[in-house]
Amino acid sequence: MDYAIEADKLTKYYGDFLAVDHIEFKVKRGEIFGFLGPNGAGKTTTIRMLTGVSTPTDGNASIMGYDIVKQSVDAKAVMGIVPDISNVYDELSAWDNLIFTGKLYGVSKKKLEEKAEEMLKRFALYDRRREKVKGFSRGMKRKICIAMALVNDSEVLFLDEPTSGLDVESVREIRQMVKTLNEDGLTVFLTTHNLEEANQMCDRIAIINRGKITAIDTPENLRQIMRNVQSVEISFKEASKNMAEELQQLRSVSSVEKRGDKYRIFTDEPPLVLKEVWDYAEKHGLAPVSINTLGPSLEDVFVKLTGREVEEEVMRGGRGMAENIGRREMR
Amino acid sequence: MSKVSKWDELQRAWIIAVKDVRIYYLRPVAIMFGILFPFTLFLSFTVGRDIPLDKLAPMLLAQTVFWASSSIGPVSIPMERRVRTFDRYLSAPLSLVSVLLGKTIAGMLYGLAISTLALLLGMFAFGTTITNVFALILGVGLASLEFSAMGIMFASIPTENPGDVMMPMNFVRIPLLFISGLYIPISQLPAVGQAAAFLSPLTHTLDLIKYGLGGSSYFGVPANSAMLTLYTLLFIGVGISFHKKIMKMQ
Repeated sequence: MDYAIEADKLTKYYGDFLAVDHIEFKVKRGEIFGFLGPNGAGKTTTIRMLTGVSTPTDGNASIMGYDIVKQSVDAKAVMGIVPDISNVYDELSAWDNLIFTGKLYGVSKKKLEEKAEEMLKRFALYDRRREKVKGFSRGMKRKICIAMALVNDSEVLFLDEPTSGLDVESVREIRQMVKTLNEDGLTVFLTTHNLEEANQMCDRIAIINRGKITAIDTPENLRQIMRNVQSVEISFKEASKNMAEELQQLRSVSSVEKRGDKYRIFTDEPPLVLKEVWDYAEKHGLAPVSINTLGPSLEDVFVKLTGREVEEEVMRGGRGMAENIGRREMR
Repeated sequence: MSKVSKWDELQRAWIIAVKDVRIYYLRPVAIMFGILFPFTLFLSFTVGRDIPLDKLAPMLLAQTVFWASSSIGPVSIPMERRVRTFDRYLSAPLSLVSVLLGKTIAGMLYGLAISTLALLLGMFAFGTTITNVFALILGVGLASLEFSAMGIMFASIPTENPGDVMMPMNFVRIPLLFISGLYIPISQLPAVGQAAAFLSPLTHTLDLIKYGLGGSSYFGVPANSAMLTLYTLLFIGVGISFHKKIMKMQ
C-alpha cells in the first residue's frame, strides 16, 4: 500500500450547490500534502468527507486502504484531525481533554497517560495540565487540539488551517512540530490558504478552486508556472494620466495594474523591471516614493491557475503541471 | 492496528455519556428544563387543589423523568455543534449509532437521577411507599430511556442553539401533560381523549409508576411496558435516521 489517502471522484452537493466536484488525488505515505484554495473553494468540505464528518454525495475515498464510507470506523482509527476551529472542551482540563480523546480511540490507560504527558510536555503545557482549557489562549488551545489529534498514534494527520490566526511564535512552533512528526513517518494532509506555509512545509500541493482541483505538483514546479506573476509595486510623487500605458510598453513588463496611488507591474524578471522603471522615472523626471518587489500572492496564483491564460500554458506542457488538472477545463 | 469491535464501540459510547454528565448536567438550560420546569409545573397544578396525597408522588415522578430525560440531548448536541466538538465524535472510530447511544445514556442517567430525587421527596413529603418495585423500575427505567431517545431525535434539528430544539419539542411535551392522566384522570376524559391518552407515552409512564407506588393501573403492566418499548424503538430508529440524513446534508 503506497498511498495513505486516495480520493476517487469525491463529490459533495449541499442541496443544488456543488461544493466539491469529482476530485481525484492520491497522497503517498509519509508525505506532507498541501491542499490550497481560497475561502469557499471546498478545502474544509473535502477534509470533512475524508475524516468521516460528512458523507460524500458521490465517489469514494480511502485512508490507509480503509474505505471512508464502508469501513469508516477502521479508517477513522488510523487518523488524527485538527479542524479549522480548535474544538476542545473548554470545561475540561488540558489533561482531561487528551484523556477523553485517547479513550474515544481505545488507547489503553497506561499508554494514554504516557502519551498525554509526552504531548503536553512537547507543547510546554504540562505545568498547566490541570487547568480548564477555558482560560487558555488561542495558540494554547490550538496546541491542545493538535495534541488531541496525536494522542492515538495516528498514521495520517489532517490539519485544517492549523496556523490560522496564531501569533508568529506559535506558527513557527506548530510548523516545526509538524515537520518533526513527518520525519517520524506521519502522513500529513494540510489545508491552508497560506501559500508560503504550503511552500515551506509540503512535498506536494493540490490547488482547489470552486470545488475542482486545478493543479497538483511539487511547490517548485507550481512556482515555475507562477513565475510571471511576480511583481514590482511602485508609487511616484506625481504621476501622469497615461503612466500605466507607458509602463506597459517596457520590455520586461507583462502587465500593469493601477492600485490606488501605486502601480503594480507584473513580470517574470523583477530585477530587469526595476532597472527599466528607474530609467523611465529618470527620463520623465519622476521621483519614486516607494518601490517593493512582491512574490506571487495567493490571489495572483488563483487568478492564474483558474484563468484561461494558464490553462493554455498547461496545455502547452507547462512543466509537468498536470497530474490532475481539472479535467473538464482541460478539454 | 486492531479492528474496532462492537464492545469497543459500547465502551466509547459510555465514555461519551460520562463526559456529558460532567459537562452538561449543571448547564442552566438543562437545570431549567430538566429540574425547575417539572417541579414548577407540579406545584402550579397541585398547590391549593384537593388532590389525595397518594396521587402526588406518581405525578411528580412521571413529570420529572419525562422532562429531565428529554432535556440533555437537546442541550448537549446543539452546543457541541456550535463549538464543533460534535465533529470529534463523527471523526472518531465509532459509528454514529454509538455516538447517539452515548448521548442517550447521558439523558437517561439524568432522568434517573432527578426522578430518584423526586421519589425520595415523595416518600418524605407525602409518605409514599413502594408497593411494586418491578413496576416502578420498569416505568422509570423504560421512560428515562424512551424520553432521552425522544430528546436525541429532536436534537437532529440542524441547529447550534438549544432553544431551537427545545421550542418544537415543547410543542409536543406540553400537550402531552394534559392528555396523559397527570392532571385529568383518564377515566374522566372523553372517548377521543382516552384514545389520545393511550397513544401518549407519558400515560404509560404514569400508569406504571402509579402501580409501583400503590395505585391501580388503568392499562395494565404488559400494555404499558409494550407501549413504552415500542416508543423507545421508534424514537431511537427515527432519531438515527434523522441524524444520518443531516450528516449527509452537512
